[in-house]
Amino acid sequence: MTAAPALGRLTDDQRAIRDAVRTLARERVAPRAAEIDRDAEFPEDLRVLLAEQGILGLPFPERFGGLGADLLTVCLAIEALSAACATTGLILAVQELGALPLLLAGSEEQLGRFVPGLASGRELIAFALTEADAGSDAAAIRTRAVRDGDTYVISGTKRFISHGSVASLVTVFAVTDPEADRHRRISAFVVETASPGFSVSRLEHKMGIRGSPTAELAFDDVRVPAVNLVGAEGDGFGLAMRTLDRSRPGIAAQAVGIAQGALDVAAGYAAQRRQFGKTIGEFQLVQGLLADMDARTEAARQLLYTACEEIQRGAADAARWSALCKLVAGDAAMAVTTDAVQVLGGYGYLDDFPVERMMRDAKITQLYEGTQQIQRLVIARALLARER
Amino acid sequence: MRIVVLVKPVPDPGEERLGDDGRVDRSVTAVINGNDEYVLEAALKLVEAGGGEVTLLSMSPAGITDPVRKALAMGATRAVVVSDPALAGACSWSTTQVLAAALRTLEFDLVLAGADTSDGGGGIVAAGVATLLDLPYLSYARRIEPRDGGVRVERLSADGYDVLDASLPAVVVGTQLLGEPRYPSLRGIMGARSKEIAIRSLADLGCGDRPIGGAHATTALLGTRLPAPRGSGRVVRDQDPVAAASAIIDFLVERRAL
Amino acid sequence: MSGGIWVVGEADAAGALTKLSGEVATAARALGEAGGQEVTGVVVAADPDGAAASLATFLPAVLAVRAPEAADRPAAAVVAARIVALAAAAQQPPAYVVLGASPDGRDLAGILSVLLEIGVLVNATELAWGQATGSVPAGPRVEMQPFGGRVLTSSGFTGERGIILLRPNMVTAEPLAAPGSVEGRTPGDVVDLPPVRVVERVTTESAGASIEEARVIVAGGRGVGGPDGFTGLRELAGLLGGAVGATRAAVDAGWIPYASQIGQTGKTVKPAVYLAFGVSGAIQHKVGMHAAETIIAVNRDPDAPIGEFADLFVIADLAAVVPALAAALRARIG
Repeated sequence: MTAAPALGRLTDDQRAIRDAVRTLARERVAPRAAEIDRDAEFPEDLRVLLAEQGILGLPFPERFGGLGADLLTVCLAIEALSAACATTGLILAVQELGALPLLLAGSEEQLGRFVPGLASGRELIAFALTEADAGSDAAAIRTRAVRDGDTYVISGTKRFISHGSVASLVTVFAVTDPEADRHRRISAFVVETASPGFSVSRLEHKMGIRGSPTAELAFDDVRVPAVNLVGAEGDGFGLAMRTLDRSRPGIAAQAVGIAQGALDVAAGYAAQRRQFGKTIGEFQLVQGLLADMDARTEAARQLLYTACEEIQRGAADAARWSALCKLVAGDAAMAVTTDAVQVLGGYGYLDDFPVERMMRDAKITQLYEGTQQIQRLVIARALLARER
Repeated sequence: MRIVVLVKPVPDPGEERLGDDGRVDRSVTAVINGNDEYVLEAALKLVEAGGGEVTLLSMSPAGITDPVRKALAMGATRAVVVSDPALAGACSWSTTQVLAAALRTLEFDLVLAGADTSDGGGGIVAAGVATLLDLPYLSYARRIEPRDGGVRVERLSADGYDVLDASLPAVVVGTQLLGEPRYPSLRGIMGARSKEIAIRSLADLGCGDRPIGGAHATTALLGTRLPAPRGSGRVVRDQDPVAAASAIIDFLVERRAL
Repeated sequence: MSGGIWVVGEADAAGALTKLSGEVATAARALGEAGGQEVTGVVVAADPDGAAASLATFLPAVLAVRAPEAADRPAAAVVAARIVALAAAAQQPPAYVVLGASPDGRDLAGILSVLLEIGVLVNATELAWGQATGSVPAGPRVEMQPFGGRVLTSSGFTGERGIILLRPNMVTAEPLAAPGSVEGRTPGDVVDLPPVRVVERVTTESAGASIEEARVIVAGGRGVGGPDGFTGLRELAGLLGGAVGATRAAVDAGWIPYASQIGQTGKTVKPAVYLAFGVSGAIQHKVGMHAAETIIAVNRDPDAPIGEFADLFVIADLAAVVPALAAALRARIG
């Protein structure tokens, strides 16, 4: 893939891919969105569609059957899908998130073993870091991995794991050295969910992204071959942070997509709905809402695209860019979807229209892959580090 | 099997308009004519099953290639676009001559075309092309099957279909019943960039000094006008079904339709 | 001196003249009167006599050509070859050839265009005769309605010859006071077009009147929900003396055969009444039915595009309105 060009300008390939995914989202994903939310069922049919169209192959190297797309291109696809259905956009986002530790630190042998299945979309991978008592404080995880000959035995419980019940692989972060420093205690492993001792102990009922299964995973002396250790022992925390630096833009993309989807519904409604002898779009208070919604969405989008370019070219402050775009986009999505319900008035509150679902979907973008509060800490630290 | 699929770039349905010169404004976003995608899908399935390649053939005065790129992304091997300013305003007779001349430079077993174009109607060019090339012509296909060096086509009829046989090479016009066209995969989209789009002028085809093109059009647009407005429609809402049914009947009576 | 106007009459599978052919003949006759042109009918078929006699009720003179090959060849090539032979044998070849825009008519027009080396105007909605203007000599003026009827265009031939295809239901067929004459012809020197053999004719549904000829069409779209919903629409069509149409969505879903599809990749219709249930009115469908005289739409979605051009837009659940309407119609008749 060619390098991304100047700010705001997409390459022909990026534009073509974005347009193709938009078409697919409009014609095949959007008609399913309400049903996916209502039934809270993972849309396996859409997973198959994304796989067949090569969309799930976007983040993976070409030599393993992927499309070798850059970060911006992956985000364009997530954005386009999320405008139709946040759950479906998340399928691509989580596939990237779960595989990033491998892509960042895996050996060629590991890549050869795991990536082809992931790139084809036949297999899904999840990212298991969070635990009941270790959310924002990720270093405090307690899941344990004990070396035994040429295997590691993993025990513990992970919470809030997206795709945990539909993935065949999980990247698990576990403590390998309890005595070491806080940020050197943890290692990363690729675990096959078919392994004995692995189970899904709970599925959450959520406010939004209801079609995305959020699972509690129980590891009961699960044996993992030592060759599934990603990177070296003790690299896990750093690897998790580097992963989030690259995956947060995907959530920002989801947020921008949700916001755009809501804006489109609200603008279309305002142009049609008549009250007091005019379309409501002719009233200034409604125009004000719509304008602010557009400004926030576009600002979040442009920041996202810039962040992708910066991170892709290896900027030293990638963490700051990642946190900035996720912070701004998540807040934008929440504000824009709330205003979209407002524009639709009473009808916006009904599930006849998609905006109430979009508002429920938007909230998670302020919570996962680091809460908005964590994003602010990351940004502030980067700023202050510059001042030293 | 070597298949040539005729693809016509047309304005996106709903966005069509006449330009200032009274001709179809081709600066509007161009897409492949609806039915062309169906026959392209049929062609791709035929070569996937039995080997071969699909070549796209298109004619465009301005050398518009975007719709052809989408067709390449679907899986066609290469494209030939006949582009020449002289073609602006060409009538269907010219189009027939040009496509036939282009086909004479290609090797093929089958030529496929879509049954109609959305930007001016037609469906007659393929029949003319077959006649010029002295090839069997089979139209309104709902199914196309190669058979023993020939082709068998099921042609839609008023009450079902007729089964037709002809030898190859042949020209077949297809309908949407051939099957839903695939979405171009992302890999296809990225791969399309490196596929060959050969641009040919009228001179390249040996048509340079023949009476072909807009200047020699057999037909001319003489005028346009807007249709009489329908008048604003009446809306009935918040009525129970019986009242709604009455409203419909009353309206039909009012319009002297009942 | 012009060679006059030829009207090609089309015979259906049973050998009867199609309704469209009567409309074409009527329009061509009016054209001939306006332009001082002689109008002659031509029927080519395996057994042309019945259709030729019918065509003669509309035209003063009809040529009937017996072509046994038509029994197992697609019609267009057989008809084209004989028309070309007739034209070559005539004192003067016809200046204008007018056909119905049926599938066979379109095929025939394409073949004739090449063999006679003349241009074609397709999808005519109205025919008139015009005086010379600018680069265009006196001759037929053909009205068309491209872009889903958003604009009406008038076109002519730059030369003194051409082929015209007339859409169904644009002209009302009007017979002559007394039928014209029928003359059998056997043209020599018939060109051999590359053979296509009809191996079998398969009937999958009853050959009812084509939807293009229906005066009333009851159409169903995605909102109908399934094949069962079309049962109610068929009942309404029966009560109104009409035919059932459908959008592409309903056909793609397998609820109703393709023959009923109206729209860009289906048929174009111009009924007196178009009664649409659960039809959104997207442009791809609109292009096929916008010319209907009266459009009534029933749809649960107040924002459906069809609401913008329907003469009566009923915002209601079609599942309740269809049976209510059927009951009310039965009460009127009973």
